[in-house]
Formats: sequence, structure tokens, C-alpha cells
Amino acid sequence: MAIAQSSKARTPQRGPRSKGSGIGERALAKIFLTPSFTFMAVIALFPVIYAVWMSMYQITGFRQEFTGFGNYSQLLSDGGFYNAIRNTFVFTTVSVAFEFVIGLMFALIMNQAFRGQGITRAIILVPWVIPTAVAAQVWRYMFSDNPGFVNGLLGTSINWLNDPTWSMVGIITADVWKTAPFVALLLLAGLQTIPREYYEAAEVDGAGAWRRFWSITLPLLRPAIIVALLFRTVDALRMFDFAYVFAGYSNSLATLSVYTQRYLYAEPELGYANALSTATFIIVMIVGIFFIRLMGQQTVGSEKGKKK
Amino acid sequence: MRSTPVHKTGALLAGLVVAGGGLAACGSPDSQNGNGEAGEAAFTWAVTGADQAIHEAVADLWNEQNPDQMVNVEFLSPEADQQRQAMFQDLQSGTGAFDVLGLDVVWTGEFAEAGYIMNLEDHRAEVEGVSLDGAVESSSWENELFAMPYSSNAGYLYYRTDLVDEPPATWDEVLESGVEVGDEAGIGGYAGLGNQYEGFVVTFLQLFWSAGGEVYNDDQTESTFLEGDAAERALDFLIDGREQGLFASGFDSMVEDDARSLFQAGDSVYMHNWPYALPLLEGEDGEESDVAGDFDVAALPGFDENPGVGALGGLNNAVSELSDNQDVAEEFVVWAATDADAQQTLLDMSLPSTMLSTYDGADDPNVQLLGEILAEAQARPAVAGYNSLSLAIQENLHSAFLGQTDPEQALQAVDEAATDALSAE
Repeated sequence: MAIAQSSKARTPQRGPRSKGSGIGERALAKIFLTPSFTFMAVIALFPVIYAVWMSMYQITGFRQEFTGFGNYSQLLSDGGFYNAIRNTFVFTTVSVAFEFVIGLMFALIMNQAFRGQGITRAIILVPWVIPTAVAAQVWRYMFSDNPGFVNGLLGTSINWLNDPTWSMVGIITADVWKTAPFVALLLLAGLQTIPREYYEAAEVDGAGAWRRFWSITLPLLRPAIIVALLFRTVDALRMFDFAYVFAGYSNSLATLSVYTQRYLYAEPELGYANALSTATFIIVMIVGIFFIRLMGQQTVGSEKGKKK
Repeated sequence: MRSTPVHKTGALLAGLVVAGGGLAACGSPDSQNGNGEAGEAAFTWAVTGADQAIHEAVADLWNEQNPDQMVNVEFLSPEADQQRQAMFQDLQSGTGAFDVLGLDVVWTGEFAEAGYIMNLEDHRAEVEGVSLDGAVESSSWENELFAMPYSSNAGYLYYRTDLVDEPPATWDEVLESGVEVGDEAGIGGYAGLGNQYEGFVVTFLQLFWSAGGEVYNDDQTESTFLEGDAAERALDFLIDGREQGLFASGFDSMVEDDARSLFQAGDSVYMHNWPYALPLLEGEDGEESDVAGDFDVAALPGFDENPGVGALGGLNNAVSELSDNQDVAEEFVVWAATDADAQQTLLDMSLPSTMLSTYDGADDPNVQLLGEILAEAQARPAVAGYNSLSLAIQENLHSAFLGQTDPEQALQAVDEAATDALSAE
């Protein structure tokens, strides 16, 4: 929106209320943005700081004792924590990779002009609209031995719910089914911003379909790809529902969120749970910042491109 | 649920009470402005959302008898984890909206150690010999009472009368006949609580106890989990059962209702399950059942000469340390444990009661049997770290049962967890 407005302001036709007041556009923007930034800081930062504070205590019922970084040293020597990190990263890497590839294929298909395009776009989003907890229950039922739907379909006799490897395959499948459409939607939005002329020009120059995809679609889609990967990765790192519904607190699937929840309610150690959630926060933050930096470079690059 | 005319006024009152309770919870000690007006609740009872009608009927009974000190029932989620969450939030945040806490039988030690609930040792004489031994035991922590028995539960062995003549007397017979008869009939041998969850702990402990095992010594100061061969026998039974094909398909991810529907469809010779399955299997209330008339219930078997031992389920009521109305709350929990009408209400609505005398006059042979099973049943140890112990049993023994880990190491790990659970850090 902001970009659209500023570009409008630079156009030769001036609206009735053009610029010219005392305060510069940037300063004005800062003033307008201050309340929302303050608001966001209070809403977003307070819980984080409070969690970090709580993680410095050992809390049993009404008794609490300050332990400084005691919970963190416990964390670093806790096999369950590393196990949760491993599960989380395996899940995130594999599911996001599949979601991206499948999402991209969906997007490319939906970007073609064909009859029933609108309805296809609506239908493809159905999995994403279903609440994750509900989807998890349905998938668990499909994987379970009774009635053995998935095994029947594949002609296998895999113990989907209790074999650690196969149950991971199971929740990844379920997650890919659920969120690939979301990735597709984000990428489709990106695809639609690429001007047709580029493809026409490339075709005239004799570029094949593959070449067009590689040299035009992918580079121009980069911002949308990064946004999609950022959303999905950060989301997958916090994944709770599928792992919990499939295997409860079992270490075979426990992600960081499930492991944290275990110390919140099942084996209540509030201080330790907060240390775990702080660790999760830091991990998600690092990954998030990595993606945002990627995006930042992109934005800077494209602005330079526009200015020349 | 509220359809019977007798309960209609009661339900209406309860509705009013809930509405009043919402206001009362906003602050001000309600006894000051209460003056016993109808619809004004004196205290709140937080209890599971499962079996709502039953808890409501008990509350109605109390309200009839105590119109000046009415109880407001706050139904929590039917899920144990979410009940704990709601209670922890109420207590840990210092809100104290719940005066009486309906605790799962295995939570007593944890809540007592955390300082959440009042010591009720003074009331021991009122329940000892009156309530089920196991229920009193599950209400105790470090040999003192911190809760009062309320409801109970213990599993039956369901068996197919069209396939076996007599219920098996030992687990070895279960294994043998289950495999054989199941094979012949082309169905599973045994269904039950086999998923990796609390139910698996029940399954394991029942085997363990009936092989002569005890998790702790008498005064709960040290783990005796590995003493004798009970732990090994129990686990071996499960492993052998899996290897020989005793268990119905999907046993290792089965919870109560999965087992029930499988048995109901005629797909298993035996099933261990709670009494709730009985009316469903009999095809009452238009329920479709393939085994109606072709099954019966028995007490669980044991190993060798040992009798079978059921694991007690159910709820105990405790008084919150944060309650503004501890006196009334205390009165209520004692009443709910010892009032014959209240306890009879539970049993009449098919939730097993804890008061021994309620089973005496029972006409129904299944209820009589349940009374006998409950009298012998054992409480899961209500130590402070019970949940950690339970998770350790689930994690280690379930994977050993499935052949994914070494049985000996798994048992060792449970023994260590049992020691750790004596004092929650």
C-alpha cells in the first residue's frame, strides 16, 4: 500500500491534496507508525520477556526458587531436548521441501488459463481450511490399523502409528497434504505479477519451456518463494498438532512444541517449560532472521533495479 | 441427558447456579452477600466434562439438602491433560475460582506436593472401611489423606461365550486359548488398552501386580519395581502375545473405544475394558452389536495362583488451598464420599461408586462382580511424580513390547523413573 501511494505521488497528475506541508513524508510516516509499533512491542515483546524471566526460576506448585541459568544447563544435558530438536528439524526440512515442490507445481498449473480455473483454485485450498487438529485426527484414523485405510490402499502392512520412522513419514505426509495448497496460493500470487511479455519475448528468441521457467519464472518468483519458505519453515518449527495427535508425548515424534507442552502440563515444571519455549523461540528467531535477510537483499536489489 | 422429568427442576436450578457462579467468580466473597438465596452458589466444584449428567445429579442432590450453600459445577474438558491445564492455571495464577477439585486418582501426590490441596487426614475415620481400600489409598500421599474418594472404576475381562466356555483363570490361558480360538474363528485373540498412553500403563500394571509385583515398598520410600520377576513376566507376556499373534490387529494403537467397537463387531475373543462398554455391547438404546447375548464379563485373570488385580480408575475430590470457602468445600467432599444417596446416585447412573455398602444390595450380577473386582483392585501409586513415571512406562515398555528396544534396558529405565518419581524436582 505504502509503495503504491508513494509511486502515485510521483506521477505527474497531482491530486487535489498534493504534498507541500511542513513535515516531510518520511517523518510523517514515522509519527503515524509510532502507535502501532508501540502496540506491537507491548503485545509481542512482553510475553517473550516474561517467559525468559520465568525460565530463571525453578517452580514447583506455589514454591519458586531463583536458579539463574540452572534450567538452561539442565536443558543442554537433556537428551529429550536434543531428540526434540532432531525431530523438529527432520520434520521441517522434509515437509517444507515437499510442500514447496508440490506447491510450485500446483501454482504453475493454476496459473494456466483453463476452464474451471476459479473452481480449481477454491478446491485446492480445502485441505488448508480444515483445522489442523481435525485433520490430524482424520489422518491418524486413516493410518491406524483399524480400518487400515492407508495400508489397504498401498497393499502394505506398515505400523504407521508406532514405528518411529513410518510415523514421521505419516505426519510429514499429512502436513504436506494440508499446507502445500497454502504454498501454492502464495506462489500463484507471485506468478501473476510476472508480465506475459517476458515469456513472449523469450519465445521469440527461441527459449524452450524449461529455459523460460529457469531464467524467467524462478528468478522473478524469488520474493514470493522466500515469503512462502519463511512462513512454512517458521510454522513447521512450531508444529504441535500432528505430532501430538499421532503419538502423544512419545519421544518418537515429540517436536519442540510437544516437548515443551509436556513440561507445562504433563510433568509440570514451569521454569523448565519456559526455558524450553525460550530455546524454541531463539531457534525460530534465528531461522526467521535468516529468511528475512534473504528477503532484504532481494528488496534492496529490486529497488536498485527500478532506479536505473 | 436432562430429559427425565425428575431432574428437570434440578437441571434448571443448576443452570441458574451456573449463571450466578459466573458473577460470583468476579470477586467479592459471595457468602457475605449470599444469604442463601436460591441460585447463589457458595462454592465451585471443578470436575471432568465426561459423565456430566452424573456429576450434575450429585450436585443437585447436595443443593437440595443444602439450599444455603449451593455448589456450582464447573465442567472441565473430558480430556485429562486439559483438566490438569485448567486446574494448574486456576491455582498457579492464584485465581482460586475452584474450591473443590475433582482429581483423577493418580494426581493426588502431585497436587499435594505442590501445595495445591488441603490435608484431609482428620477425616480418615469417616472413609476407612467405608470406602474402597484402593480409593482411600489413591487419596493419600505420604500416608496422609489429601482427597476424599468419589468415583471409581475397574476393568472387566469380556469374553465370547459362543467361542469359549469358561473365562480363563490365568494369563497363560488367555494367551493359549486366545491364539487358538482366535485363529480358528479368524479373529483377534485379545483387545484392550494398547496404545502408548495411560491405558497402556493400566494394562501393564495389572499384569505386573497379578504376577506379584509392587512398584514401591509399603511406605513409598523406594522402588521395588525390579524385585522378583513380576516386571519381566508382565512384559514377556505382552511380547509373547505379540509374537504369537494374540492381539487383535491395531492393539498397539488402541484406546478404550477402539477396543470396544472392535469387540462389538465380533472381531476379538477377549477384551479388557471398563464397565461402560457393557450396555453398548448388549445392544441397548438401539446400539448395533454383533455380540449381543454372546459375551459375558469376568474378573481379570492372574499369573499362576495369583488372583487378577484390576487397576483403579475414577476421581477423588480435593479442597483447593486457595478456596475462600474451605469449610463448606471440605464438608462437600466428605459428603460426596460418605453420603449413601450420593454414592448410590453414581452407581445407579452406571459410574462405579467408592462406598462399599452401595454394592451390597445390588441385584445385577455384573454390579456384584464389579464390587468384588473393586475390593481387590489396586491404586496406581499416587506419588508426586506419577505422571513422569507413567510417561516413562509408556515410552520404554511400549517400544519394548513392539520389539523396538531391549526389554531389560526398558525395565531398568522404568525402575530409575520410579525412583525419581518419589520426589518431583
